[in-house]
Parts: sequence; structure tokens; C-alpha cells
Amino acid sequence: MASVIQNVPESARVAQKESGKYPGALVVVEGIDGSGKSTQLYLLKRWLEIGGYRIHFTEWNSSPLVKSATRRGKQRKLLTPTTFSLLHAADFADRCERQILPLLHGGYLVLADRYIYTAFARDAARGCSPHWLRNLYSFAPVPDVTFYFRAPLDVAVNRIVAGRPKLKYYEAGMDLGISLDRAESFRIFQERILNNYDQMIETDKFVLMDGTIPVNRLQKLMRQIVGERVNMEQFAPKKTKKK
Amino acid sequence: MTDSLPESDSSSNGQPRKTVKQRAGQVRPRRSKKPADAADATASRFYGAPMPGITAEELSGSLIVIEGTDGSGRSTQISLLTEWLESEGFAVQTMGLRRSFLVGEDIDALLAENAVTRMTLALMYGTDFFDQLERRILPALRSGLIVLADRYIFTLIARSAVRGISRDYLHGLYEMALRPDLTFWLSVRPEVAFDREFKKSHSISYWESGRDLSLSNDLFQSFIRYQSMVQKEFEYLSKRHYFVEIDGERSVAEVNAALRKRIARQLGIRGTHYHPSNALAHLWR
Repeated sequence: MASVIQNVPESARVAQKESGKYPGALVVVEGIDGSGKSTQLYLLKRWLEIGGYRIHFTEWNSSPLVKSATRRGKQRKLLTPTTFSLLHAADFADRCERQILPLLHGGYLVLADRYIYTAFARDAARGCSPHWLRNLYSFAPVPDVTFYFRAPLDVAVNRIVAGRPKLKYYEAGMDLGISLDRAESFRIFQERILNNYDQMIETDKFVLMDGTIPVNRLQKLMRQIVGERVNMEQFAPKKTKKK
Repeated sequence: MTDSLPESDSSSNGQPRKTVKQRAGQVRPRRSKKPADAADATASRFYGAPMPGITAEELSGSLIVIEGTDGSGRSTQISLLTEWLESEGFAVQTMGLRRSFLVGEDIDALLAENAVTRMTLALMYGTDFFDQLERRILPALRSGLIVLADRYIFTLIARSAVRGISRDYLHGLYEMALRPDLTFWLSVRPEVAFDREFKKSHSISYWESGRDLSLSNDLFQSFIRYQSMVQKEFEYLSKRHYFVEIDGERSVAEVNAALRKRIARQLGIRGTHYHPSNALAHLWR
């Protein structure tokens, strides 16, 4: 399969160049289901909240505007790889234009649980053209730090399968017709996604996080990296300095 | 991105095109000798890489697009053309904006709220378009139908382009769209479109007057300026995508005759005589 990274269209490059024109910062976590990314981002968020930092947390697939369409499409299994991808892009665009970008321009530290790389890895696993996907999301600002949580496939899959009574149709990649068994389909689908993520480590400057390290140690590491890569002072509670 | 004439390879034997089914019959044996042609034909029917699993050979029908602003007479002409084509023995499928089962109604709701931003709207329209392409247009073309599209990606590109979304982005978004066999542009001056729309609905819609762009508080001015901006985009698209421009200010009968003449040539229909049935006579003003 062609790399998700290659063939970045010109329009995407232009958008990326402009992304530094705001005072805020963007920290995102990526990784397959069960890699521990949401737990770690939650802990990071709690740390910053308790410290009184100017932050905002946002997660994938949460915009009310396109919720009804997504629900209808999923319930009735109407989504093809293309419309699945577009609907999620519309949802992301709404969040990006109405939350993420205004907050970045307003000087917030924005924490995102999953970002455009989720779409690159997942939708390419469904057969969408990587080049088309890169263009589709080229309006999105490039993160200051992208943490990629990586756990071995078996560990991640077992975490999810153990904790859930039933895997959902699209979540398990049943639309791809890989296997009639949901658990089996889920595993193969996640493996494809994992491979796509791995291809982006270098080109998209992912910070690789070992999802098998104990939670508290991993969190310590995450806080340290955020401190190094983001100028935390500008988001700290203001005392004497004024904006 | 550059465009070329739609699917010119299939008439390379020098014969004028016959009916759709005959054309498909002529082409297939030739392709079976040179399998490489199939990939070329697929490439020429799409702007970029087609969606996975789609090949051009199996698409024996024709896609005919009618573009033009509100008030250009598109829907009237499509009703008349449908009747004419059916009387000539062609089965017709139609498509239009916001008609997908998946998100058609959701876009209506978004438009009513005015809370939606340009990129979200562009992508919802994109979802609507590809849902119809995959579920309506491609199956119809596989069955040899004539698809009459009441607007196509060009309106979607033009509307988003005047709102500042880059043309490259938009062409990339729609690169998997099917290249029409014929694209008509019913052009009318914005002033004429305004008169016709006002006569029809006694008001001017928020989106058709581009009020989200804050061009003017005067609705008439806003409508004229917005439609002029869209028209400029169409002029640009027209050259790039070989539109057949028709003066939409002429009478319904004249515009219809011009459309029939060109479509007849495309589909190999001999006579273009047509007079609407009683059911459609009211359109024949």
C-alpha cells in the first residue's frame, strides 16, 4: 500500500505553513483503540486543570451538527468508505472551525483525543486514497506535539474486547467484509490501522509512547515532554504578567 | 489539475456515436484485445483515481449535467428533457443537490440554522454528492440509464470557492467524481435570475443571496454581487471543463430545443421533434 505520508498535495502544504500564526498550542494523542491514549490525555488534562492552565479538551466525533447523519448512516449501514470518511471530515471541520481554531487564536492550549491522523490511518485502511485524505484534511492546523501511543496488537485488542459486550459494526470494520466474525474482523482492521500509524511516525513527527509502560510512569514522561515542547508559561495562570 | 475532453477514446473509430447500448457493444470487443485500454478508459471517465472497485467499461449509460443558478430554468428543462428522452425510449434517472438519503435532510437543517461554517457545509455537500454518486448515479449508469443531474460538482466548487476555499482543495475533494458526458450551463444575468426567483417565491433565500458573506445589507445588492461572484467562478470552470453554454434568458422552448439538439447528437437520436404532453404544457411558456 502507498504510504499515507507521500504525495502531500500543494494545498496541504500551504495550510501547514499558515498554521503557526496563532498564540495557542495544540497537543494531540493518537493510537489504536486500547493503546491507552485516552487515559493518558485525561491525566494530562487533570494535571493542567488543577494547575489552572488555559486549556480546552476536544475529542473525535463529538459535534452535534452532524450527529444525526452519522447515527443514521451507522444504524442503517449506509456508509461507504468515501461517505464514512466525508461525514467524519465534516464533523471534524465543524469542531475545527468553531472550537479548535478560535481557541488557538485566543491563546489556549488545546488537547485533542484523536486528530486527523486517525482519519488517515483508519480511512486508508478502508481503502480511501491516502492522497485524497491528505487533501481532505489540509485545512487542519498542524499539532505542536503528536503523541502516538503504541501497544502490541494483542494487548490493545484484548483490552477492548474484554471491556465491551459487543463491538459495533463499523468499529469492527465489518463493512470491509474481512471476516464474518466481529472479533476477528476487528483484529485485522486494527492491525491495518496500526501499520498505517507506524508509517507516519517519522513523516508526521510522532512522539512514540510505549503503551505497555505503567500508567503513572508514562504520564510522568508525557508531562515532561509537553513541558519541553510547549511554552507552558503562556498558558499558566496570570499573576503579574499581562497579555 | 487539467481536464481533457470527456471519454473521447470511445469514438476513435471515426463513427458518430450511436445509442448508448450500441456504443457499449462496439467498444467492448476492441477492449478485450487490448486490456490496457480498460485502465485508460477508467482514468478518462474520472478526474482522478476512481473509487475502489469502479471501472469505466461497466458504465454504459450517459451522464448529462445541467448547471445554472436559481432562476436559470434548470428544473423546468430537466422535467421536459426527461419526458422527451422517455418518449425516445431512454430510461432516465435524476440527481440533484441535497437529495441523498444519507444527509439530504441534515443539510436542510444546517442551512435553516445558519450556524454552519463554510468548510463543514462544503463537506456535508460532498457527503451528499458522493452518497448519490455511489448509490444512484453509478448503479444507473451500469444499467445503461441516462442520468440527468440538476447541478453537479461545479456548483459546489463555485459556491465554496467564492467563500475562500482554495480551488485546488475543492478539485482534490471531487477528484473521484465521474466526468460528465455533457455539461450544459444555462447562463442568465443576476438581475434576470433575481426577477424570476422573486416572481416564483416572493422572497430571496439567505444562501442564494450569499448573506453569510456580509456583502451588503441591501438584499438585492447582496444577491447581485453574490451571483456575479459565482458566475465568475463558472466562467473559469466553463473553460476548464468544456461547458456547453446556453443563453438561459431565451424562451423555455428555445432553450429546450438547443438542449435536445446537442443531446441528440451525443446519444445518436435522429429526430429532435418534441412537444410537451398536457401534464407539462404549463412549463412551455
